[in-house]
Amino acid sequence: MGHGSRSGWQTPTGALLWEIWGQRKVNFAFHAAALLASLFSVWCIKHGADEMVERVLIMVMLSCFLGAYLDLLTCFGYIDADARKIQLGYPARLLLKPVSTLRLVLVPMLFGGAVVAIVLLIWNHWILQPLVHLSALNPFWLGAVILSFFWWMQALAWSLPLMPGRSLIMLIVAVIHLGVGLMPLLPASGLAGWQWPSLAVLLVTALLTARIGLGLMREGKWEGPPRINLFCSRWDSARTRNTREKFGSTFGAQFWLEWRRQGLILPGVTAGMMFVILPLIFVVQQQTGEPARGADFIKILVSLTLLIPLMISSVMGANIARFDQLQPSNELPVYIAVRPMTNGGLVIAKLAMALASSTLTWLAVLVVAVFWLMVLQTHWLITQAATVPPFGVLAIAIGCVPLLMLLILYTWKNLVAGIGAGLTGRRWVVGLFTGWKTVAAIALIGLFSAAKFNDELRSTLRHWLPELLITALVAKVAITIAIFICESRRKVITPGCVGWIVGGWLAGGLFVAGYAGLICRAIHDSDLWLPIALGGFLILPLPDLAIAPLALAWNRHR
Amino acid sequence: MQLRISIQDGAPIYQQIVEQVKYLVAAGRLKPGDEVPPIRVLAEQLRINPNTAARAYLELEREGIFTMRQGFGTKVAQVKKLLPRREKLRLLAEPADRLLTHAHHLDVGLDEVIALLRERDAAMQPESSR
Amino acid sequence: MKYPSPSSAEAVISVSGLSRHFGPKRALDEVSVFIPRGSVLGLVGENGAGKTTLIKHLLGSLKALAGSVRVFGLDPVLDPVGVLGRVGYLSERRDLPCWMRVGEFIRYTQAFYPGWDATYAAQLLEQFQLDPVQKIKTLSQGQQAKTGLLAALAYRPELLILDEPSSGLDPVVRRDILEAIIRMVADEGRTVLFSSHLLDEVERVADHVVMLQQGRVVLNGRTEEVRAGHISAVLAFAQPPGAAPMLTGAHAVTGYGSEWRVLFGGSRTELVTAAARVGARVVEERTPTLDEILVARAGGKAS
Repeated sequence: MGHGSRSGWQTPTGALLWEIWGQRKVNFAFHAAALLASLFSVWCIKHGADEMVERVLIMVMLSCFLGAYLDLLTCFGYIDADARKIQLGYPARLLLKPVSTLRLVLVPMLFGGAVVAIVLLIWNHWILQPLVHLSALNPFWLGAVILSFFWWMQALAWSLPLMPGRSLIMLIVAVIHLGVGLMPLLPASGLAGWQWPSLAVLLVTALLTARIGLGLMREGKWEGPPRINLFCSRWDSARTRNTREKFGSTFGAQFWLEWRRQGLILPGVTAGMMFVILPLIFVVQQQTGEPARGADFIKILVSLTLLIPLMISSVMGANIARFDQLQPSNELPVYIAVRPMTNGGLVIAKLAMALASSTLTWLAVLVVAVFWLMVLQTHWLITQAATVPPFGVLAIAIGCVPLLMLLILYTWKNLVAGIGAGLTGRRWVVGLFTGWKTVAAIALIGLFSAAKFNDELRSTLRHWLPELLITALVAKVAITIAIFICESRRKVITPGCVGWIVGGWLAGGLFVAGYAGLICRAIHDSDLWLPIALGGFLILPLPDLAIAPLALAWNRHR
Repeated sequence: MQLRISIQDGAPIYQQIVEQVKYLVAAGRLKPGDEVPPIRVLAEQLRINPNTAARAYLELEREGIFTMRQGFGTKVAQVKKLLPRREKLRLLAEPADRLLTHAHHLDVGLDEVIALLRERDAAMQPESSR
Repeated sequence: MKYPSPSSAEAVISVSGLSRHFGPKRALDEVSVFIPRGSVLGLVGENGAGKTTLIKHLLGSLKALAGSVRVFGLDPVLDPVGVLGRVGYLSERRDLPCWMRVGEFIRYTQAFYPGWDATYAAQLLEQFQLDPVQKIKTLSQGQQAKTGLLAALAYRPELLILDEPSSGLDPVVRRDILEAIIRMVADEGRTVLFSSHLLDEVERVADHVVMLQQGRVVLNGRTEEVRAGHISAVLAFAQPPGAAPMLTGAHAVTGYGSEWRVLFGGSRTELVTAAARVGARVVEERTPTLDEILVARAGGKAS
C-alpha cells in the first residue's frame, strides 16, 4: 500500500465532488443534451425558420436554461426536493466528517459557481448573442449577478433552520439582486458607478454568510431567533382558532384541501411575475428610447400582460393532477383514497379549485397592472383608450368583464386540459399524452405555416372551415358519450358528475358564442361568428374531463 | 382486584383469570359482597379482548363465585363456603409440587418437610390469629 | 384447522380464493378468510408475507384480479363509498398529510362521515394529548400514529382495519393504542382486523388468528385452538441421533445429544406416535406461545 500518489478523487475535496457527480450524473447528461439541442435550434433559426417557430424555440431554450440553473442550485446547494419535505440544510453526514468548515463551504460554492459560469458563458456566446441583440445589458454583468444569486441561495439553504420567515428572507435577497442587477439601466439616479462594488459586496457577504452560518449550524449554536418563531406560532394558532367548526359537505372539505395545496400557486406566481415584469418593460422602453405613446409599445404591454398568465397556466397545468406535492410517487395519497368519496366528486373538487384559482389569478393581474400604471403615472393609457369612439370609460369597464371571464375560462382550460392523463398516476400515460399534444401542436403549426405561403391551401381551408369544425365537434361529443357509457358500466360515475361536466362545457361554449356574436355584430362581420362559436366548443375540454373519473379509478384501484 | 396475565403460561387467558380470582377469594383478598370491576374496565386494565374477560366472568358466575345483576354490576357471591374443599386442595397442588421437588433435590425427606411446615405455621400464628 | 365460513350475511369480511402477483413475485396465493361480525382478527406473518397486500384488497386500493373480496357484502372497488364509509383504517406508514395541522386533518376527515361523534373525538384528542395547532410533520411517530387512530375511531366505524398499529412505537404509546382499540371492541358489533408483529398483543386481544406465509394461509382459527393444536415437547432419545431427527408434523427441532426440543403441529397421540417412530419418548410438553409457533413455522426447518 504505497503512500505515494493518491488518486485525485481520494482527497476530501475530491470525495465531495465525486459524490455530487455520482448523484447527478443523469441530470448532467440531460443538461448537456438540452444544450446541444439548443445549439441545434440556434443553427436552425439562423438558417431561416418561421417567426412563430423561432419564438417557440426561444421559449423552450429559455426554460431549458432556467431548468439547468435550478437543477445546478439543488445539486450544489445540497437541496433535496424529492423527499417528503424539501430538505434544506447541509447534509448532516458531511458535517460529521473531519473536514474544515471552510472547505465544506468553498467546494460546492466555487465549483458550483464555476459550472454555472461556464454554462452562462456558453449560453451567452452561442445562444443569446446570435439571437437577441440587447445592447443595454452587459452579458458579463448579468452573469455576475446570477452567480451572486446562486451563492446567496446556497448560503441561505445551509444556514437557515426551518423557520417560517425563511421564504421571506429569500424573497428579500431576490429583490435586492434584482435591484442591483437593474442598476446599470438607471444612469439618471447616479447609482451606475456603484454597480461593481455593490456586486462585490454581495459576493463577499454570500461567502461570509455561508461560512459563519454553516459554522454555527455545525456547532449546534444556531437555533433560529426565538422571538420570530414565537410570533409566528402565536399568529398561526390565532388563525387556526378562528376557523369554522366544520365543513358543510364532502365537496367543501375536498375543495378546501385542493385550495390549500394548489389554489394560491398560480395567482401567486403570476402576480409575482407581473409585479416584476411590468416595471421592467417600462424601464426597457425608457432605455431604448421608444416613444411612450407609440402603438408598438402598447401592443407589447398588452400582449405580455395577457400572454404571461396564460403561459404560466399551461405550464402549471401539469401539476393539477397531483394531490400532494410532497409525496414522491404519483399514486393517490392514502388519506384521500380511503375516504368515502366518489371518483367523480374528487374530480369536480379539482375542477372547482382550478376555476377559483384562475379567477383569482386574473383579478390579481388586474390589481398589479392598475397598481403599476398608477405608480408609473401612465394611467393616461386608460384615458387614451377611453377617448377612442364609440367606447367610453364605462363601456370599457363593462366590456372588460366578459373579456376577463373569457380569459379566466381559457386559463381554466389550460389548467385542466391534461387532468385525465395526470390522474392515472402513471408516468408513461402522461408522457404519451404530452407527446400526442406536442405532435398535434406541431402539425397545426405546420399547417398554418403552409397555409401562410400556399394560397390555394389557404382558400381551401377557408372554404371548408365550418364543415371541418363541425366534424371535429361531432367526434368530440361522440367520444365523450362513449366514455360516459364505459364509465357508467363500471359504476365509476354518477349522474350528478355527468351533469356538472356537460353543463359546464355547454355554459362555457354558449358564453363564448354569445360574446363572439356581440363582437361580430359590433365589427359587422357575421362570417366570423360560426367558426369562433364552434371553436369555443372545440377548445373547451369535454372528453378530457369526462375521462378523468375513470383515470382516477384506475389510479385508486390498482 | 389485581390480576396478572402471562402469555408464556400454557393456559388460555380466561382460564388464568378464573384461577387467579379463585385464588384471591380463597386467600380472603376478595371477600363476599366485594364489587369487582366491570368487564370493559378489566379488559382495558389487562389489555385483553373484552370477550375473553366476559368468558371468564361467565365461567366464574357458572361456578357460583360471582353474581352478575343488571344495573348492580358484578359482585363476589355471598356464599359462605365459596370453594369446595377439593377445589382448594387443587389450588395447593402446584406449590406443593414445587416444595416437594426442591426437597427431593436437597435430599430432604417427607417427614422433615412436614416438621418444617408445622414449625413455619407456628411462627406465623400471631399474625394469622388476628 | 379450518375455520367454518359463515354465510355472507354474517361475515363482515369475506375473501375467497384471492391471488395476486406483482411481476414474478406471488404476493397472495388462494387466500380465503371470513371474519364474522364482532370478532377481532389478528393477521400475523413475516415481513413480505402478504398482510399489507391483503389489507389493501379489502380497501379497494388493489383490485381482486383472481378471486373475490367482499366487505359488508359489497365489492370495495365497485362501491368505494358504501364500504369506506363504514371502515376505519390506519396504515403501516400512517400516511397522513404532512402539511396539515392536527385540527385541520380532523376537520377534513369529519366532513366525510355522517356518524362522526364530536364529543368522542374531543375526548380522544385530550386522552392522546394531541395539540390541534401542531403541524403533522412536526409530530413524533407515536403522535402521528395516535392522530391516525383518532381519525379512524372518531366516527365509530363498524370495521376497523389496522396495519401494524404498534410498529415503531414506544411501550407507553402502544399501551394507549391497545386500550383505545379494546374500548372500541367492547362496543356492540364492532369488528377489528389488525396485523402485528407483536404476537403477545395478538394473543391478548385477538379472538381469531390468521397466519400468512409467502402469500398462503397456513393457520386459521380461534387463538386458543391454534395454540392448542401445537405442542412444544422435549424428546429423549435412547441413542443420541447424529443429526437433527426428522419427525413428520414437526415444524422446528433444536437440541443436542440425546434430548431434543420439538414444536409439533397436531394432537398428543400423533406426537407420541411420531416420536416412537424415530425411537424417542416424550419427557416434557407444554402449549407453545403464538410467537414460538410463528417462528417455528417461518423457520421452515425439519420436515
